[in-house]
Order: sequence, then C-alpha cells, then structure tokens
Amino acid sequence: MIRAKNMMSREVIAVSQNSSIMDAAQLSLSKSVSSLVVMEKEKIVAVLSERDIIAGVLLKKSKVKDVMNKNFTTIGPNTSFNAVSRLLRQKQTIRFPVVENDKVIGIVTETDIVQATRDFTRLHQVVQDVILTIFGVATAFFLFYFSPLRVWIFG
Amino acid sequence: MAKVRKVMLTDVPTLKKEDKVEEAARLLTKTDNGCLIIVENDVPIGILTELDIVRHIKSKNIMKQPVSSIMSSPVRFMTPDMKLDEALKIIDTKRFRKYPVIENNRLVGLVTKNDVILAISDNMKLHRAIQNIVLILFVLFELFVFILYEPLKQYLGG
Repeated sequence: MIRAKNMMSREVIAVSQNSSIMDAAQLSLSKSVSSLVVMEKEKIVAVLSERDIIAGVLLKKSKVKDVMNKNFTTIGPNTSFNAVSRLLRQKQTIRFPVVENDKVIGIVTETDIVQATRDFTRLHQVVQDVILTIFGVATAFFLFYFSPLRVWIFG
Repeated sequence: MAKVRKVMLTDVPTLKKEDKVEEAARLLTKTDNGCLIIVENDVPIGILTELDIVRHIKSKNIMKQPVSSIMSSPVRFMTPDMKLDEALKIIDTKRFRKYPVIENNRLVGLVTKNDVILAISDNMKLHRAIQNIVLILFVLFELFVFILYEPLKQYLGG
C-alpha cells in the first residue's frame, strides 16, 4: 500500500511570515519548488504558491504574510494513496504538507500523486497480467485435456 | 481508447502577444489553470505559466513588458482526436506540462500532463475490471475440474 510518506518530497522549503515576497520568490526559484511553507515557531501556519507570489507583486504587497494562504489541508505520513488522490480530485488544493507530531516532514504535490498513480497502475497491471496468464494457461491445458482433440492426437 | 477531447479544458484564458505581463498576472491569479495561451488570430503562438512570471519577477518594470518577452514559444500542439497514449508519448519526450489543443487552426482547449495520466489510469480501472471477470471464470473452471469433476463422473455412471 502506497502511503503519503512514500510519495512525499522530503525537501520542504520554509519561509517566515515576515520575509519579503521577493526573497520567497528567489528561494522557490533557487530550490526549484513550486510552493513554500510558512513556518512560525516550528509550526506550519500557511503555504505560499507561485500564484500567491504573483498576486503579491500585483497588489504591491511586500511581506509573505500579506498574501500567504492559510486555507490548506495537511495530511499524515500514513495517509493512504487513495485518500490523498481523493483529496486531489476534489480540486480544492494541489499541495498537502505532511505533518507528524506538529512537525512538517514533507510535502505531497499534485505531481507526486500523479507519478505515484502512474507507477501504481503499471505495477498493478503487470501483476494482474501474470496471474491471468497462469490461470489462462491452466484453463487451456484442462480444456485440451478433456477435449476429443487429445484422444485424436495422442490416442 | 479515450481521446484528448475528453480530458481537455475548454475554457482557456488567452492573451495577445502585445498584452502586458501585468494583465497576464491578473488573469493567472483569477483563473485556476496556472497558465495562459498567447494567441495571434486564434492560433496559439506561445504559452505563459506562473513560473515564467516568478522567474522574471525581480527584473525592473517586468509588469509593463509585453507577454511575448517572457512566454515559451513555439509550443507543441495537440489535436482533440489524438489518443491519450499518443499524447502521453509526446508529453514524456518534452519538459512541458501543458499543451494547447488546436482544431482547424483554432485554439479549442488546453490539456495537462496530469489530466492525461489520471484519465489513462481511470481507463485502466475498467480494463482491470474486465480482466478480473475473466480471471474469476478461469478460477471457477479450475475449481470444477479439481473438485467436482471426479465425483460428478462417478455419480453420472462411472
């Protein structure tokens, strides 16, 4: 069973509420992440996406706290793949910080979920094909065994 | 196999290449797609994502520049009748995640990598359900052979 801890990125880039939006933009670019988490006293208080950064510049705001998004959903490390993909498909949000004992230990984004879906589908398919082949061959053997064809061929 | 038409978004925000980045930023914060298509006479000539703007956000007066200065161009198109696995093949060879869909030289939609993968995996679910039914039939047959065949033969006159 795939769980959140298997698909999350462990590199969580954090900023504080009082950082400038420009610094946050620079940080997300240099670390190649599409979203940052906003931490205060080691606790997550908000997330900050590229869109929030753009909105901040547009509205001529300067601090992260003016544009950060406090309306986010966290998940636990043992949240199942199915639960996370259901959350994603409700399309409220596309990033889920993974929190354990009040500490952020990772983040699961839409890309991670889609990648896991892809791997999972592929694995599932291979396993099923193998089982189907085994039973298919066995069935074919028995059908042959009980058919008149066997007597014609082998006497 | 499902086609691109089935998973594409049809409500795609567009801009002209001479429009300002500020306008693009405003549209991006209002819509959910995370990208805009830059068109010239209804034909897509470029794509502009949130990342493109963030990448240039520090340069002076970026908001007054035309979108053509920071858009990705040219873009790879998809067509609505393309099969999803063909689309995925193209997506896997490119680094882009979003593709305009054109029909008769007109922009008709936008398709994303994630939507294509999720749709393919949904299709596989149907495929798997059918395989499961076949598997159950096989198993029942084998059960018959192993457990019921001998007693049945004897009972019938063996």
